[in-house]
This record gives sequence, structure tokens and C-alpha cells, in this order.
Amino acid sequence: MRIDFRPSGICLPDVDLWLDSTEPCPNCWISHGHSDHARGLHGHVFGTAPTLEIYRLRNPETAGASPECTPVEYGEPFEFGGARLTALPASHILGAAQLLIEFAGERTVYTGDIKLNDPLCGTPTILAACDRLIIESTFGLPIYQFLDREEARDRIVGFARETLDDGISPVFIGYPLGRGQEIAHVLTNAGIPTAVHGSIARYIPVYERAGFEFPEWMPYANRETAGKALVVTPEFRNYLEASGKNIRIAYVSGWAVLDNARARSGAEVLIPYSDHAGFDELTAIVEGTGARHVDVVHGYTEPFAKLLRDRGVDARAPLPATARGSVEQQEG
Amino acid sequence: MDTLAEVAERVASHSSRLRKIAILAGYFRGLDDADLDRSVRFLSGGPAAYVPATATLFGDGESRTLSIGWATLRDSALPAIGIDADTFRLCAQEVGDLGEAIGLLVRRRTAGEPLTLAAAEQLYAQLYRARQTAGKVRILEHVFSTYRPLAVKYFVKVIGGSLRIGLQAKMVEEAVAAATGAALDEVRAANNRLGNLAVVALAARHGQLHEIEAELFHPMDFMLAKPLDSAADLAGPENWIVEDKFDGIRSQIHFSNGRVVIYTRGMDEVTQAFPEIEGAMQKVPGSGVIDGEVLAWRDGRALAFTVLQQRIARKRVSRSMIESVPAAFMAYDILLRDGAMLVDRPIEERRAILEDTFRDQPFPLMVSAEWDPVDAATIDSLFEDARIRGNEGLLLKRRGSLYEPGKRSGAWYKLKRPYATLDVVITAAEQGHGKRATMLSDYTFAVRAGDTFLNVGKAYSGLTDPEIRELTRILRSDAVGKFGRVIAVKPQVVLEVAFDGIQKSPRHKSGFALRFPRIVRWRQDKRPEEVDDLERVKALYESSMNLTAPHE
Repeated sequence: MRIDFRPSGICLPDVDLWLDSTEPCPNCWISHGHSDHARGLHGHVFGTAPTLEIYRLRNPETAGASPECTPVEYGEPFEFGGARLTALPASHILGAAQLLIEFAGERTVYTGDIKLNDPLCGTPTILAACDRLIIESTFGLPIYQFLDREEARDRIVGFARETLDDGISPVFIGYPLGRGQEIAHVLTNAGIPTAVHGSIARYIPVYERAGFEFPEWMPYANRETAGKALVVTPEFRNYLEASGKNIRIAYVSGWAVLDNARARSGAEVLIPYSDHAGFDELTAIVEGTGARHVDVVHGYTEPFAKLLRDRGVDARAPLPATARGSVEQQEG
Repeated sequence: MDTLAEVAERVASHSSRLRKIAILAGYFRGLDDADLDRSVRFLSGGPAAYVPATATLFGDGESRTLSIGWATLRDSALPAIGIDADTFRLCAQEVGDLGEAIGLLVRRRTAGEPLTLAAAEQLYAQLYRARQTAGKVRILEHVFSTYRPLAVKYFVKVIGGSLRIGLQAKMVEEAVAAATGAALDEVRAANNRLGNLAVVALAARHGQLHEIEAELFHPMDFMLAKPLDSAADLAGPENWIVEDKFDGIRSQIHFSNGRVVIYTRGMDEVTQAFPEIEGAMQKVPGSGVIDGEVLAWRDGRALAFTVLQQRIARKRVSRSMIESVPAAFMAYDILLRDGAMLVDRPIEERRAILEDTFRDQPFPLMVSAEWDPVDAATIDSLFEDARIRGNEGLLLKRRGSLYEPGKRSGAWYKLKRPYATLDVVITAAEQGHGKRATMLSDYTFAVRAGDTFLNVGKAYSGLTDPEIRELTRILRSDAVGKFGRVIAVKPQVVLEVAFDGIQKSPRHKSGFALRFPRIVRWRQDKRPEEVDDLERVKALYESSMNLTAPHE
């Protein structure tokens, strides 16, 4: 099967299908709802039900008839363009899926954004054996190893309780989709009064429909922050700091592995938990699929491909590396 | 070491200075004397281990730093980590701190054994003693494969001498005071006298601070002068003593019956670079500590700092170098004489003892001239005279004042004027510390050279917080690359910088570096094509050389 790697997405001309195209295309597989994957007014889109719901929420121009949306279930194969396609859970965020493409006797898996460890909210990853793997490498250097789900939960709840006991409001910086809901889910289920910023809260109903509970969560209100844990977006931190409120900030992210994340995020406390795979998880995914050919897209593509080659895997980075500056901005 | 590492991580996770000090004080309280000594040294950049002078590579005198370079640390880490050198370099670059990078990379790979402070100190002592790189590598390989990742992280940071956890030396002093119940002033004063906070901490714990005396051949902190823009700002000109402000190397000479050591403000020993001063000081009877300036001197006047710089560049100097750039020592204060501490005696008394000490001593030993001004106008004309003599400006010292080591108290003022200003463009920016941690506040800047820009220096301050915030936004959007904490940017933002001189510098591609650059203003009205060019920098450098260069 031919695979055409382009900056705007991956094209499978034999199947007439695009993977996570950010520009309009006739038929598009959307791996998950983050805007660097789910964007553009396509003719026909495929994805899990939560992914498609988030895609419509985030792209109001899709409110009309177009595009045609076909929701797919994890593990249920369907035919398209002469190929057999199967969505597999990817742990990353709610609804995130890998795509197994069986075509002309060859099995190819596109991971989308993925983590191997169990997520706080989402469906645990299931790996499929394949010949060829297209994998992301947001954290494709061995310095990046993260807390597991239980450790992260303990650190989030521990920091919140400790800080509230000191009479200070704990603030968690999370990305609007994924991390923000995971943190709010952990805090509310630990019985901690939690106020959630609007741009994170707007996706809570999607999570609730998927069965994740947020008991007694409250919308963030400017005058009522005392005695509560606050879950806000990175952009909101500057405002909170300038407001002179009695707060202490924690940054929950893969980038929080590094001490320099303090300077970058403005947080005092670093909780290194990500919805992406850490380095050991990435190599375990490669090994787990048994793929003989690996294409690395997103993140530390060249160095990660080289590390895989050192381990005897035929790996390459088909696209030039992302500019360093923009990797930093990526949701991690 | 495991506990110290955890404490350091907690200190790093609080931006409040008071919380940092409280965490540290709590830790110090629980330690016995030996561990208090070790932990204070590790946390305050003191010697990692005390090793008899004869056992070190450095000949006489103890060196304060373990000289272990980047490559040695890398080569020691690779076997434990199992990655190649290129990936290691990339990881270290992303992390921006070698100790932290190695600590991250040895996770899940070390035996995870505990490391006590005593055992860590022994390892440092072995590193001091190891004469060959191979020996050092063996010790470090053992460390990296044996102890817990967090202990490894801080073990390496201590070698580098800087922990980068937002903990300044002054805060460690405060924590020592809080932990021992001693008065902060007394802890500071004792540390200024002795220059070894670990010894001070033990004395504080046992109520023996008053017994701490300055010791010969342990450099004390220097007293510093506050900047003053104009003599007109000075209350009561008649209350001040005036001296020329020389542009040399501020130095402290310790001498005792023939033994002489010259320390700089960085506490480096530079004795060997100035044998004529060492030789002259060997003939001064008795013992003492003298504060002053090492200068290049010819025909009754100081030569430009750029000339003197040729002498510092090498450890041992040739006879021809001594002849072409003769060095002299201009003394202006005395802190210790024949066992008596003088810092608490008034300046007039110290001055008399200094003059007595240098009486009849020939060149290159001198005592700086002083004047008693009666009004601001006298000070102005003295300033002009100092400039004509090729000096930077004036130092004003309050009558009756004491010598306050390590302080910039306002008992001394320096009056100088900028040498020139240049318009430059920012080429790289770095995050600041503390309050400015989220902002790009440190700028590398360049002048024009044909179609390109070449760096001539780096400056830290001079802009207001709102300006820095605005610049941070602009610079981030102009980013073209990243190296650890440093962001390279498209040359867009123009600054006007003032500075005190120009020197040759191999660090910058331009071949020049500005001395003490500071930002005067952000030139939003200028475009990068309009900044000054390398020719102007060269011309300024050459005119400074002509003014005071030796006659060939």
C-alpha cells in the first residue's frame, strides 16, 4: 500500500483515504478531537462517536449537512475503498483511536496520538500486530518517562489537599481537551470542591455521556475561588496571577518532567503525567506490534527513528522535523 | 544525599523565599554536626570535600571547584544509560542542565542504593584525588549506576557548583540563622569574615559565632560601592573622602612573611599571573590582608583594562610580557594586620595602618591618592581630572565608615559615566530567574557586519517589567531555535546599550565584547538595519587602546 506523508496529513491513495488531514479532503480518518488532527471541512469523516462529537463542537462550520460523519466502534472492522479498517483504542483522550488498515495482505497501523499506560479518562490502548506502523513521537527521547495513572492521581489529590489545608487555592493548568477533564475527574471523585474553567467545562458533558463522572463540579466563578481547587487553561494562568488571588499552581503535563517547565509554565509544582506515551511506552508499542517498518511522525521524529534503528527496527522519519518552537506549544 | 535531594526538590517547588528558607531550616535542624557541615557546603557551593593540598592536582592551596568537564560527565554517563553520544547531547540540550539530564536518564537503570552525605563526600574526595580523567570516569560510572536518580541529579549539580533551585547564598545564610537560633546579622558578618558558611553554621549552632575570625589565605568578601550618577546627588560633600576609580582587577592580597596569594572578586587565585606584585609583597614585613586593584601601569598612569587583559589570559607570564605590560598594585584598604581584625575600625584608622604597611615599599606597590572635597564642584573637577588620567571616575568613601564585607551599603559610592552607547539588535533571549522566571529578560545582542549580525555582548536588566513582558511576547513569536533555556530570535528588536569599555573576546564571532553592558532604552523607533556596525565597535576599541596603550 502506498503511503504519502505530507505536512497537512497522511494520504493513502490506494484506499482514497486521508489520516488526520488538516486541509479539506474527500475522505478523512480522524484519530481524536485535538485541533491539530480534527480540522477542516472534509467530504466524509470517520472516527469514534466521542471524537466526532468533539470535532463538531470544535468546528462550528461543520454544523450543516457536510461533512458526512460515520461513527465507528472500537474493534469492529468495516470495509472502505477496498481495505478493511478497524479502530483500536489509543488511551490518549476520550475517543482516541488507532486505525488498523488491512490492504492487499498487508497490515498497517496508524497510532494517531497514543499512550500505552492506562489513562485517567479514556479507553486503555489495545495493540494490534502489524507489518508497518506509523507512530507519533511527541516524547521520543529517553528523558521523558511519566507517572502512571495511580501515581498521578495521588500527586494531584495530595497537592490539592495540602494546599487547601494551608488556606490556599490549588490551581491546575490543563489543556482544554483531555488533561483538563482528567484532572477535574480525579479531584471531584476525591471529594475536593472543584471549579472548572469554561473552555474545559464545555467538554464535560461529552465525558459524562461516555460514563465518566464529575460529582458536584462547579463552573469557575471569579469571586468564588477560596476553598476550591481550580482547573484552568494555560492562557488563564497570567490572569489568575495578576488578580492577586491566593493561589499555588501545579502543571500536569509530560513537559513537567523537566525543571525548566517551571519557567515555561509559571507553575511551582510539576506533575509529570501525559496523555502521550513516554519513551519506554513508545518503544513498547513498537515492540508490541511487531512491526518491521516504522514511520515516525510528530515530535522528535529523527532522533526517535534513529534510536529504533539502533534496536534493529527499519524506522524512518518521512517528514522534516517539526520546528522546535512549535513542539513546545504542542499539547503534551 | 537522598534526603538533601528531596529537600532541594521541595525548595525548587516553592517560589516564596520564606518557604524555601523554612524548608531548608527544618532540614538543617534535624542534622548532626557532620551532616550540617556537608549539607551547607553542598547547598551553598562550598568545597564538596576537604582534601589536603598535597593530594590535589592543584599544587599549593585548595581549589574550590572540582574541575570535571561536560565531556567527562557524558563519557561516564553513557555506559549506565545505554544511549549514543548524539542522543545524549540532544537530551542534555532539551533539559538545559547536565545533572538533571543524567538524573532523568539513569531512571530505571541504577541499582537504587541509598547514598549518605558522608559517602557522597568521600566520593567527591576521591574525585579530587583522581589524577587522570580515566580515574574520575571510573568513580562517576559507579555513581551513575548505583545510586537513586534524584541523588545522581544533585551529585552532579554539586560538582557544577550551582544547584539552580532558586536558592541564593543569602537564603542559605538565613536558613542557618533560623535553624540555629543565631542572629542573622551575626551569621552574615561571620560568613563575610570567614567565607565558609559550613564552618559558620557549626559555630552558630554552638554559640561560637563571636570566635570566628578572618583567616589568612581564605578570601573575604569585598566591600562594594553603590553607583551614583552625579556628585550633586550627594548629601554633604565634605563628609566624603575621594579617590580615583581605577579600571583594573579588584583584588585582595593575603601575605604572611613571604607567602603571598592574590585573590580576585571571583575568589580565583591569580598570584602566578603577576609575579612582580607577588615578589614585592614578599618583602612586606608581617602579615595582613589588603584590598586594592591590580593595574597595568606605565609612565605614572594606569593603562586600559584591555591592555591588562593580555596579562590575565595566561597563567604564567613571559619576561617580555612583564616588560611590555607591567603590572602594579594600587592598595586602598586593609582588613587584617599582624593578627588584628581592622574591619570594625573607621576608615581613617585603616588608612593610616595601610600607609604604614606600604611605607618605603617601592613600585609596583602603591597606595591610592585621596582628596578631601569641600563641595560638589570640587568633586566635579576631581572627576574630570580622573578621566584625564585615564581612570573610570571616582570612588567616594564616607568618613568614619567601617569596612562592610560583601555589602553595597552606601558607605561607598562610585561615580562614573558611560563610555559610549551603541544601538544593537537582539539575537537571542533567555529566561530570567525568580520574579522574571516566566519572562525573557536576558538578551544577547549584535551589531551589523555586512549582511549579517555578530554578537558583541549580553545584558540582563535596565528595562521595566511591562517592557520585558512585551518584549517576551515579541521575542517568542520571533523564535527561530532553542538551546536549553536560550531562544534564538530573528534580529528585530533594537536596544540602546551603554557600557564601560570594549575588549577583544574569542567568545563572540565579532571578536569583541562590551564590558558591563546595560540596556539604556528599547529603540522602538529603529529598525535592525539601522543598528551600529562592527566598524564602529572596532573604532571605539582602537581609540581606547590609543588613549592608554603602551608605547611600542
